[in-house]
Amino acid sequence: MTVADRTLIQSKLAEFDYIADAAIATAIHLARALQKPLLVEGPAGVGKTEIAKVMTRVLETDLIRLQCYEGLDTSTALYEWNYQRRLLQIRLEEADHRSLEEREAAIFSEAFLLKRPLLEAITRERPPVLLIDELDRADEEFESFLLEVLSDWQISIPEIGTIQATSIPHVVITSNRTRELSDAIRRRCFYLWIDYPDFDKELAILRAKVSGIDGNLAEQICRFMAEVRKQRLEKCPGVAETLDWAKALVVLHRDHLDPDIVEETLGVVFKDWADTRHMKASLAEFLEQLGIRSKILPAPQSSADTGPA
Amino acid sequence: MSPESEVKERGPAPLRQDLALHGELSANVVGFCRLLRDAGTGVGPGEESDALRALRQIDLGRGEAFYYCLRTALAKSVREQRIFDDRFASYWGVWDQALELDGPLPQSQSVPPAPPDEAKQEPPATPSALSVKEWLAKGQKTEDEEQVAGYSPVEVETRRDFADFGSDELEEIEELIASLARALAKRLSRRLRPAGRRGRLDFRRTLRRNLRRGGDIVDLAFLRKRHQRLKLVLLCDVSRSMDLYSRFLIQFIYALQNRYRHIETFAFSTSLQRISHALQSSSLPGALDELALCVPGWSGGTRIGASLHTFVERYADSLLDRHTVVLLLSDGWDTGDVELLERSLFDIRRRAHALVWLNPLMGNPDFRPETAALKAALPHVDLLAPAHNVAALRDLVGKLAILRPALRGSQSPVKSAAEEQAATDAPGPQGGSPAKKRPTSGDNLMTLARQRKQSKG
Repeated sequence: MTVADRTLIQSKLAEFDYIADAAIATAIHLARALQKPLLVEGPAGVGKTEIAKVMTRVLETDLIRLQCYEGLDTSTALYEWNYQRRLLQIRLEEADHRSLEEREAAIFSEAFLLKRPLLEAITRERPPVLLIDELDRADEEFESFLLEVLSDWQISIPEIGTIQATSIPHVVITSNRTRELSDAIRRRCFYLWIDYPDFDKELAILRAKVSGIDGNLAEQICRFMAEVRKQRLEKCPGVAETLDWAKALVVLHRDHLDPDIVEETLGVVFKDWADTRHMKASLAEFLEQLGIRSKILPAPQSSADTGPA
Repeated sequence: MSPESEVKERGPAPLRQDLALHGELSANVVGFCRLLRDAGTGVGPGEESDALRALRQIDLGRGEAFYYCLRTALAKSVREQRIFDDRFASYWGVWDQALELDGPLPQSQSVPPAPPDEAKQEPPATPSALSVKEWLAKGQKTEDEEQVAGYSPVEVETRRDFADFGSDELEEIEELIASLARALAKRLSRRLRPAGRRGRLDFRRTLRRNLRRGGDIVDLAFLRKRHQRLKLVLLCDVSRSMDLYSRFLIQFIYALQNRYRHIETFAFSTSLQRISHALQSSSLPGALDELALCVPGWSGGTRIGASLHTFVERYADSLLDRHTVVLLLSDGWDTGDVELLERSLFDIRRRAHALVWLNPLMGNPDFRPETAALKAALPHVDLLAPAHNVAALRDLVGKLAILRPALRGSQSPVKSAAEEQAATDAPGPQGGSPAKKRPTSGDNLMTLARQRKQSKG
């Protein structure tokens, strides 16, 4: 049964249009089977966050997302007391003759606790997918704090005591490597590095994600992107850009690339001014290498023999 | 990390015996973990047990699954994945052979597992990368080593000019620089979150404060306003005249960049290159390889003015704001357009929070800011500071922290918009609004004199 698990995951992921290679499928499978967090690193736009989303659908559970940013603190990530409600409660109970202890206990009960993502994630009946997105953006202090939660699966709240996890969530942590994460966090997780996809994988992604795309166009796009990523660019386009571009071209009813359309839609692929300028300057030469030439005659819609040699 | 002696004790030969004795998978996995640990990864008992548990989850018959399974459990960063890939084939290749031989292994060294010592060496470098590495290692002065003998090494190194270091001391100095960069990163992160004025109401503290009054809110508590952290832009002169210093400063920058997120780095000699991406490589040699590829004019001439002008034109809009300190590392030996330099510095200063010129030559007691470039620059920098040794860099950490409140005090927020307008309209550097307190070149020279006195005393 365990043998089937990984292939099962791979095909299930494919069902939801997520093209996973063996490395990705293995990592997801192991993280799930051994209940360890999965740390996913890689360049922007290769589908790191997407892993958590598609896992949610495969496992048929909920996604709880914690987007990290600088200054993220416990009251946003963990829990916060509902102070307004407590104030009202105190007011209402003024006429009450219960003892002080009883009243205090009532105020510090879970009823007045606002669960933030981390607490929410470990107190669900059915283990959800907990996505901790872009952990490199959070402060180092938060990282060490997160470590505590991820190793003990419990959260201690001074006024109440320790809350034990009712279920262990499937944790996915992503990082764009704007700073190095601590070794402690790395040791705690399984590790997955996702790079830009190779030609075949990207083609598969395009075919799965962009309905009605011409096979020839898809191949041209992927070849173009593979070549572009070899250039020295400020912002290297990811799979997200490939998809945007392909969708745009499909909307424009294109079945092949030609220099004009590439130049017109360059802004979809390159998000940095310097890159756009650089590519514009060398576009003709670049496309020539890929075997994409402009036609002397305006191409009618029906022309099918446009494939490069 | 792993001492050499240990590696030698547990070299290839005992490992092979291990393999011969246990045909068991688990023992071999443990052996492999040990090999990875010796190769400089952080594989520990936790990883070992993870790997063993993980292997139970997969189909061992499929080589690919076995490989990915071990890698997911054992290699925890890109660097470790690289080491893992290096070791994997040779280690498990031997194991396969052992099974085929079906008996004790012959003592021939036909296919030994890769000796662990190799782990510490870098993967084969490209010619261009080699040149930078050689550049990093060159410049020895043996007589200095004799002088140093007998002193506490750290203390001495702190005061020593970077230019005097021999290549064999690189590692020590690297350590020192890295720890300094960590300190700076930490300091910048912590220091710059001061208590502000009234912001959002802090319910938690308000309630706690007023609980004793039975819920009557008398005493309000506010959330501290979080100030944006200081951002750094480094402009590093890598021309020939800076050679002796930039090889250390690059290390400093590399260490800093890996610790502190709000930092953008540029290198320039005759033209400007953004090198932030290159420095994000997971190892220093890797970063140097990247640098070799993307900085063409390394160790060339200097055109500070033109380079800074490029910076203003292309990057100033997106990178400079009131929370950004610009550090310019240069000796001021410029062969380019001085007026352009002056204008660029003026532009940068106006848009940034502060502009600091770090000059390694200031370590020399006879130093006077007499090059044309430096003279022109003095009115436009907030601080001219030395950067010739570890002590100077350490000093800088403190100075950067002080720089901020001092400047903040001198600008009233209401006025500044109008002032800025005035500054924009002004035709030249002299047209800056006098209301905005800028240090004059006189101030800078005073600072300089004071520092020199200190360093002598």
